[in-house]
Amino acid sequence: MPGSLAVRPKETLQAVRDALDQLSARDRTGEVITRIEHIPARAAEWAPMPAWVLPELVAAYRAKGITQLYAHQAATAEGAHAGKNMVVVTPTASGKTLCYNLPVLNAVLENTDTRALYLFPTKALAQDQLAELYDLSQRLELSSEPSTDVATGAPTGPAKIQRAGQRFGVFTYDGDTPSDARRAIRERGHIVLTNPDMLHTGILPHHTKWTRLFENLRFIVVDELHTYRGVFGSHLANVLRRLRRIANFYGSDPVFICSSATIANPGELAARLLEKPVEVADRNGAPSAEKFFVFYNPPVVNRFLGIRRSYINETSRVADEFLRRGMQTLVFANSRLHTEVLLTYLQRAHPPAPGSKEPVRGYRGGYLPSERREIERGLRDGAIRGVVSTSALELGIDVGSLDAVVMAGYPGTIASTWQRAGRAGRRSGTSCAVLVASSAPLDQYIVRHPEYFLSRAPEHAYIQPDNLEILLNHLKCAAFELPISPDESFGLPGGSGEINLPQLCAHLEQAGYLHRSGGNWHWTQEAYPADTVSLRSVTSDNFIIIDQTASVEGGAEVIGEVDFSSALTTVHPKAIYLHQGQQYHVDRLDFDQRKAYVRPVAVDHYTDAIRYTQVRILETAAEDAAPGPALRSHGDVVVRSQVVGFKKIKFFTNENIGAGKLELPENEMHTTSYWITLERPLVASLPFTISERQSGMFGLLHALESMATLLLMCDRRDLGTAIGERPPAPSAPAVVPPEPEAPERASVELQVEVQAEGTSSPSPDAPQEFYEPNLYLYDAYPGGIGFSAPLHERHALLLARTSELIRSCPCEKGCPSCVGPAGDSSERAKEAALAILDKLSPQGSASERNWDSETGIGQTEIEQTERIPF
Amino acid sequence: MSSQIDYRLSRLAALRPAFGGSPRTMSSELPFGAAALAERLGASIESNQFGEHLRLRRWHDHPPSSAFDCGALGNGVMALLHPSAAPQCLDPSQWLFLDTETTGLCGGSGTYAFLIGLAWWEAGGLQVEQLFIRDYSEEHAALEALAARIAERPVLVTFNGRTFDWPLLETRYRMTRKIAAPQLASHIDLLHPARQIWRPKLGSVRLIELENQVLGQLPWQRGNDIPGMLIPQAYFQYLRSEAPSTIEALVQVFRHNEMDLRGLAALSSKIVELLAQPESIESDALELFGLSRLLRRRGSGSRARGIYERALGAGLPAEADRTARRELASLAKHDGDLTRATSLWTEILGGTRDGLDAYEQLAMYYEHYARQPRRAQDLARKAMETLQQAQTAGHIEPARYRRVHARLEHRLARLSRCDLRPASRRAARAPRTLLD
Repeated sequence: MPGSLAVRPKETLQAVRDALDQLSARDRTGEVITRIEHIPARAAEWAPMPAWVLPELVAAYRAKGITQLYAHQAATAEGAHAGKNMVVVTPTASGKTLCYNLPVLNAVLENTDTRALYLFPTKALAQDQLAELYDLSQRLELSSEPSTDVATGAPTGPAKIQRAGQRFGVFTYDGDTPSDARRAIRERGHIVLTNPDMLHTGILPHHTKWTRLFENLRFIVVDELHTYRGVFGSHLANVLRRLRRIANFYGSDPVFICSSATIANPGELAARLLEKPVEVADRNGAPSAEKFFVFYNPPVVNRFLGIRRSYINETSRVADEFLRRGMQTLVFANSRLHTEVLLTYLQRAHPPAPGSKEPVRGYRGGYLPSERREIERGLRDGAIRGVVSTSALELGIDVGSLDAVVMAGYPGTIASTWQRAGRAGRRSGTSCAVLVASSAPLDQYIVRHPEYFLSRAPEHAYIQPDNLEILLNHLKCAAFELPISPDESFGLPGGSGEINLPQLCAHLEQAGYLHRSGGNWHWTQEAYPADTVSLRSVTSDNFIIIDQTASVEGGAEVIGEVDFSSALTTVHPKAIYLHQGQQYHVDRLDFDQRKAYVRPVAVDHYTDAIRYTQVRILETAAEDAAPGPALRSHGDVVVRSQVVGFKKIKFFTNENIGAGKLELPENEMHTTSYWITLERPLVASLPFTISERQSGMFGLLHALESMATLLLMCDRRDLGTAIGERPPAPSAPAVVPPEPEAPERASVELQVEVQAEGTSSPSPDAPQEFYEPNLYLYDAYPGGIGFSAPLHERHALLLARTSELIRSCPCEKGCPSCVGPAGDSSERAKEAALAILDKLSPQGSASERNWDSETGIGQTEIEQTERIPF
Repeated sequence: MSSQIDYRLSRLAALRPAFGGSPRTMSSELPFGAAALAERLGASIESNQFGEHLRLRRWHDHPPSSAFDCGALGNGVMALLHPSAAPQCLDPSQWLFLDTETTGLCGGSGTYAFLIGLAWWEAGGLQVEQLFIRDYSEEHAALEALAARIAERPVLVTFNGRTFDWPLLETRYRMTRKIAAPQLASHIDLLHPARQIWRPKLGSVRLIELENQVLGQLPWQRGNDIPGMLIPQAYFQYLRSEAPSTIEALVQVFRHNEMDLRGLAALSSKIVELLAQPESIESDALELFGLSRLLRRRGSGSRARGIYERALGAGLPAEADRTARRELASLAKHDGDLTRATSLWTEILGGTRDGLDAYEQLAMYYEHYARQPRRAQDLARKAMETLQQAQTAGHIEPARYRRVHARLEHRLARLSRCDLRPASRRAARAPRTLLD
């Protein structure tokens, strides 16, 4: 019960069993709990404290109760100490901070000039690490001779800076750092904890103020490396290029120490980000106790429409089973809104004992640091029995380990599912993690194929540092920081025919950003380039959303921001925009000012933009024959899209209750795409009407997109889809650049798709026969972000997973969890999609299991990666 | 392939042209207009170990150095002008006026000073020297020349140079990795004294305002001066373009910089003049008020009092008058002249910031010094009433209202207790100082 003492090992096993029994008892059909995976305990793998660690540091760690290291800690620290770039791959709560703190602190103690820069993806994580380092520095003070004083900057402020005779200073440097403290930090911070955004806009453009740090920079720590994927990762790779450039300018060549959650390619990701050889330390030596992993699918309410019971209510029910048995439980939700809803349910069910505090608390980004510290402490000392959190607790914040974790919805990637599940698991006793699936396609795939999840290595993380839009923006920043010399490469290959630095600089010179003098390119703009480059998106060209009714002292309130590409589909005039569970009606879209004016409403429907998308192939990078007959290809494309109208869709029933026309500007984007060409014999052999075939193709594309996000470890918004006719001359790739003033509007290129967010479907009133259709999955960012080549390589795997998804879906004729909602498309969409998939499969539908080996690639990465331990 | 890359590049937002006009084609030599500019200006090409740069020297009889020649620059003046001044500051021949023209206003390592304007007193007038980099490649040579000048005259005098010009130049020196940033004996930034003296009168204390309003008749005209915000563009245009008009824009920049330097030198004379004889200076009320504030800030309270009185006598606008009286009252109180202080407070009682402060001061006076708690209570009550009115009328910002309200409430509570005590006990207590 709430407030009782933490239970002992044997009791936890019993409690977990009881809770599972209770949950199973409700599962009359056997469809709800799809798997209970038992993960046995594993012992610690120890290594001695390295001999080079200074006695006072050994003493400081001893005072924390650490006398020997786990295998991975020793390997990383040894590597870094020897000057190798390291990436340590560790699950949650396995002592990763020691991996980098040990060599860094040792180096600072050996030579007080030594400096280190720590990068964390969020400010909160930096604060957390500051607390840890502060604790260590105090212990070092105790263990050292009384004559030498050790001072550090406490999280509370600059007061401690003033202390004389300090041996090392640890500071955070971010947007919250008071300006009077900044100078002292620049001069005296041995370890500066910051984030990529601050490095990008606050440190690198002012590097002359950081001379001391850059001249003595020996270590750069990149924590939570796996978060730097896609756009953010591509930006970080360029920020690191700039950082290395500045470090070299001051004569230093720092060693990188990175930590990553378990992903399929940590070494590859680190090597791409750092552009240096990196050694991987992935032998996890941390112990873990016995654990159960449960897959839970909410019961079906309406089989025909594929509607299940609310996964939020089910999550609350599951969490309640654990809490009532006295198990400390962490509930993860995928949105702030759901966090609050779940918190309300659970606090109602578990009120505080008289005179004590709430035993169930919420935890998310918006909370104050002091509040968060209190919750973290409450979890560690057991006063708090349950916490409902957003992904904020997924990253390395130390809350100790808990008895149970319940996830409301699949977190989106295998890697972050394991991260979250890893929060459960004490050193001794039994713990339990439950994944409660929502009705989204990915969730349904995972919960119906737990073996896929359990046997699979987590996703690959991809970045594309040479995305031209991103690269050029960082080149501008780099030129501002230091004139660019023609001898530099900025990580670019530089061969003829490839994009190289002088060529790009010449273009920037033509456009008026750079000026060449004395051989070097100099910045020639008044503006400060870093200010206009956001690391979290490709361009900073965002639309802001303004609630005109929410008057904060007379003014309107900005409630959110959407990036340019999704603005037209989500905040077009008359759209219903959802924000934190509240519906807003878009009254006006000011395209030039990039503003959408909204007001809150309560209606029974949402809107779905009708977007005409046209893909034109510019250059085919690779084209291979595939069973079908079909072709799998990838290359450069131009995507033109225009939002021409919208539909109003009723909640729950998904009825189309109205529509409207819109006149919005056309958007053109150059990007990369992967596509499947269904060749004529395949299309002709399908025993369906034109309209049914069409529905099948769109349904297939819907499912392909879901599975592609799973394979790519990306967000659904990172990919766009379209269907178009294969260009007329199949063997000659279209390389002629289109003439901008006279866009060709040949009929074959005007194949359109009605595309909506989440539930795409063909327009039923416009059936159009495709002769040889191309099914495109393109990168939804200008310039592409590196998804196309991997999809092309994993073509067969993608088809196999998609086939599994559709086949195992219990709906009869299609639902949002597989090929899109029934009723909106042809009756036989699901059937037709499966028929196409069968043609595309080498041995028909019978075998799906062993296709990984037939892809010829990815086999070693995927099949041989051992299962991730907690 | 290459045309493919060019096409892709042509579509990128990051390459959207940042300026109009066609860029010049030659990259490795000096900009097209470099030679014509030197000729147009009559500038010479100087060289040192780091290369060449352009130098333009002109001597002007105005502003004259007369303010300094008569020995006005004494320790007293310097204490008011720049309290922590090095001894060299007293020798005006050690002064180096500096004003730079830059490629941007936001600082950071990508902002360059393309024109470094220097000036010093010479032969009764002002010698102006402008160092110009014809292209970025000449920056090191110009910085080296500047270092040599600073070695000769190590007292830097600027207008807003403490936060802008000098840190920017320090960054430039660091960027060279070769030339050490020169050591200054002192850096006198005239912005701070100018702000003290002329803000009451002018509101804004931009150099151009000061030229127009306080420096009197000047032999130069700002009429067709280039606006500061166009200066970076003028340099960029010159770097990139082959159009002859770009040289004319730069000539304007040289002229602008020269006027700023002459204005700066004239301003220094004016300030030194004011500070040398503040008591006998003939001036208007607001300038006297500003001057008295500067003296008070620099700890010359008793001298300041006389000038406050003169400013009040000359007739100040209502708001400045209230502030002057409050500040003068506080100086009088400090000197123990409570008669003057109380009369000043009484004159400004009201719902304004100064008026409310006067209520509190008077209440304090009657409670602790005059020992008339009833009078003090009345004043505090009246103050509270006035405060409420000011708040209802929206004349006071919420935070100040809360602060004053809390203080008055506290005082009223204490006075009501104090009132109940027997008079004998009250009398037995030692008098408290007014400064509690």
